[in-house]
Amino acid sequence: MNFTKRTTLSMMAGLVLASTGLMTASAVSAKEVTVWAWDPNFNIAIMKEAGARYTAKHPDVTFKIVDMAKADVEQKLQTQLASGATKSLPDIVLVEDYNAPKYLRSFPGAFEPLSGKIDHGGFAKYKVDLMTVDGKVYGLPFDSGVTGMFYRKDLIEKAGFTEKDMQNITWDRYIEIGKKVEAATGKKMLALDPSDGGMVRVMMQSGGRWYFDKDGKLDVKGNAALKGALEAQAKLFKSGIVKQTSGWVEWVAALNKGDVASITSGVWITGSVKAEKSQSGLWRVAPTPSLGTPGSVNASNLGGSSWYVLAGGKEKAAAIDFLNEVWAKDVDFYQNILDGRGAVGTLTASRGGKAYSAADPFFGGDKVWQSFSDWMAKVPSVNYGMFTGEADAAMASQLPALMQGTPTDKILENIHNQLATQIK
Amino acid sequence: MTTVARTGSRRYRELNGWFFVGPSIALIGVFMAYPIVKSLWLSLHSGQGSVMKFVGAGNVERLFSDPIFLIALTNTFIFLIVQVPIMIVLALIMASCLNMPNLRFRGILRTAVFLPCVTSLVAYSVLFKSMFSYDGLVNSILLKLGLISEAIPWLSDPFWAKVVVITAITWRWTGYNMIFYLAAMQNIDKSIYEAARIDGISATRRFLSITVPMLKPVILFTTVTSTIGTLQLFDEPMNITNGLISDVTLTLSLYIYKLSFRYVPNFGYAATVSYVIVVLVAILAFVQFYAARERD
Repeated sequence: MNFTKRTTLSMMAGLVLASTGLMTASAVSAKEVTVWAWDPNFNIAIMKEAGARYTAKHPDVTFKIVDMAKADVEQKLQTQLASGATKSLPDIVLVEDYNAPKYLRSFPGAFEPLSGKIDHGGFAKYKVDLMTVDGKVYGLPFDSGVTGMFYRKDLIEKAGFTEKDMQNITWDRYIEIGKKVEAATGKKMLALDPSDGGMVRVMMQSGGRWYFDKDGKLDVKGNAALKGALEAQAKLFKSGIVKQTSGWVEWVAALNKGDVASITSGVWITGSVKAEKSQSGLWRVAPTPSLGTPGSVNASNLGGSSWYVLAGGKEKAAAIDFLNEVWAKDVDFYQNILDGRGAVGTLTASRGGKAYSAADPFFGGDKVWQSFSDWMAKVPSVNYGMFTGEADAAMASQLPALMQGTPTDKILENIHNQLATQIK
Repeated sequence: MTTVARTGSRRYRELNGWFFVGPSIALIGVFMAYPIVKSLWLSLHSGQGSVMKFVGAGNVERLFSDPIFLIALTNTFIFLIVQVPIMIVLALIMASCLNMPNLRFRGILRTAVFLPCVTSLVAYSVLFKSMFSYDGLVNSILLKLGLISEAIPWLSDPFWAKVVVITAITWRWTGYNMIFYLAAMQNIDKSIYEAARIDGISATRRFLSITVPMLKPVILFTTVTSTIGTLQLFDEPMNITNGLISDVTLTLSLYIYKLSFRYVPNFGYAATVSYVIVVLVAILAFVQFYAARERD
C-alpha cells in the first residue's frame, strides 16, 4: 500500500518534471537575447528601441535588457569572466571604449570576433581601431564621445564677445574670455572636478597623443600633448575661472543652475544640458578649444562605448544577426536615437539622414548634430591600450601636486615612474 | 565483554557527535577554509584577467616597489593612528558621562549617541559627502560665520579629505564602542568608588585610577576590533571622497578593489595585498595583547 503510494507520487513528480522539460524545450525556439548596459535614459532606452525594431521583423526573438550601474556591469563582467562561470553572462554587453582593449586582452576567447559577420567599414575608423586585436574586430561601435564646447551666448555677450569669438580658439584665449566673463557677469567660466582627469584626457587627445604610443608602449615623459594638457589644466585652475565641483551630480547642477558660462565635454552631455528647459535658446556649441601646439586640433573625444557579443552566450547567433541588421544597417534607427536621445552613432552612413541636418531651437536653431559629426571626423585616432585605467589613476593622483605648482616635467616623471612599475 | 560493549557505545557516541558537528564543519570547510587556501594559492600567481602564471614570491617583491601600495599603506596607517585613539578616548569619556547616576534624560542621550551605528554605511557616507561638498552645508556655515574667506575643497584636498573621513568614522563608531564601556561600567563594584570618595579622591583621579584599569579587558577588545575595522576601511573613502579616482584617501581595501575591478584585473596581486591586511591585523593584535598583558 505504502509502496504503491510512493511510486505513484514519484511517477507524478516525474511527469511534472517531464512536462516542464517539454515546456522549456518549446520555449527554446522563441529566443531571448539578454543585454547588459547602464544609463536608463540613454543606452537602455536606445537598446530597447533597437530590440523593438528587430522583434517587429523577427517575432521569435525577444530582448531582455538589464539596467545596471556602469560600475556594476564592469564588476560583474570582470568577476564572471575571471571565475569562468560564464553561464550567467548576457549575450550582448556594453563596454566603455577605454576598457575594451583591457577586456579583450585579459580574457582571450571570451568575446566573439565579429569580422566577416558585420561590415565594419561603415563605422568611424577610430572606433573600429580600438576594438581590433590581432587583426580581428570584436564588437559593434556604438556612440561617439566627440567633444564640443557648450557655452551660454547670453553670458559671453554681456562680456562683449560674439559667437564668432568662440570658434576654434585655444585654451589660452578661452581663459582670457573667461576672466572677462567673470568680471562682467560674476559667473565662473566652467565647472570642473579637481580630482577628475577627464579634461586632461580631452586636451591630450586633441593633441593627437595618449599615455601610450601606437605600439602600446608607455609614452609619458616627453609627451608634448600630455605636458600641454597638464599645463593648460593648471592654468585653468590658477586663473580662477573654474567653479570647483565634486562628482557628476554637482557638476551637472552647475550647468543647469546657470552657475557657469560654458562646459567642454562629450556629445552625450547634450541631454543633460537640455534638461534645463528654461535655458532654451541661450546655449550654443563651438569646437573644442585646442592646445595651440603644433599638431593639435579643435576636436577630441571623451568616453563613448560599444556593444560586444559574449562567445559563451546562448543566443549568440541571434545577437549577431540583430547587431548586423539594426545597428550596422538601419540608418532610420540612428535618426530616431539622435532625435530622441541625443545619441551620435558612429555609422558613417547615418550622417546623411534627416535628423543630422535638423535645427535645434534649444541651441538657437543651430544644426548642432551636423557640427558634432563634422568634428567626429577630425578626432585624432589614438591607441588607448590596455592600461588606460592605471594611467588615469596615476595622472589623477598627481593633480593635487600640479595645482600646488609642481613643475610639469616633474609631474610627468612621477606619472611615468608610477606607471612603469604597474604595467608589467 | 563489557569493555567491548563500552568502547562500542563510546564509538557510537563519538560518531554521533561527529554527525552533529559534521554539517557545520563541512560548511566552514567550503566557505572558510577553502577560500583561505585558494586565495593563498592565488597570491602566488600574477597576470592579466584569466591569463595567469605562477610567480611564487613575485607578488611580494612587487609590493616593495609599488608606489601606490605605499600610498595606500600610509593612508591606512594615518587613519589607524589618528582615528582609533581619538575614538576610544571619546567613547570612554562619553560612557562615563552617561553613567552618572544623577544625569537626566539618560535613556534618550544614550540612544542618541548609539544611533549613528544603526545607519547604513553607504547612506551616512552620502550624507557626509553632501555636507562637505564644495557648496555644502559645512562650507556655507563656515563662510557665513566668517571663519574662512574661501570655500575649502574638503573632498579633494589631500589633508582635508582625510579629516573628513576621520570625522565620519568617528561619528559612526564612537557610540558603538561606548556601549561596551557603559555595559562594563555597570559591573564595577560601586563600593570601590565610595571608598575612594571617602578618601577624598577627585573625580578625574577616580576615572583614571579606577574606571580605566577596571575596563582594561574591554578597552583591549574595542581597540583590537577598531584596528581591524580601520585596516579594512572601504565604504567611507569609496563613497565620501571618491577614493576610486583620487589617491588622497586610498586605503588597502580600496586598492584591492581597484586591482580587481578598476585596473587590468590582477587577482593574484590583489590576493597578495589582502594577505598584507591579514598579517598586519595579526601583528597589531599581538602587540596590543602583549602591551595589555597582566604583569605580576
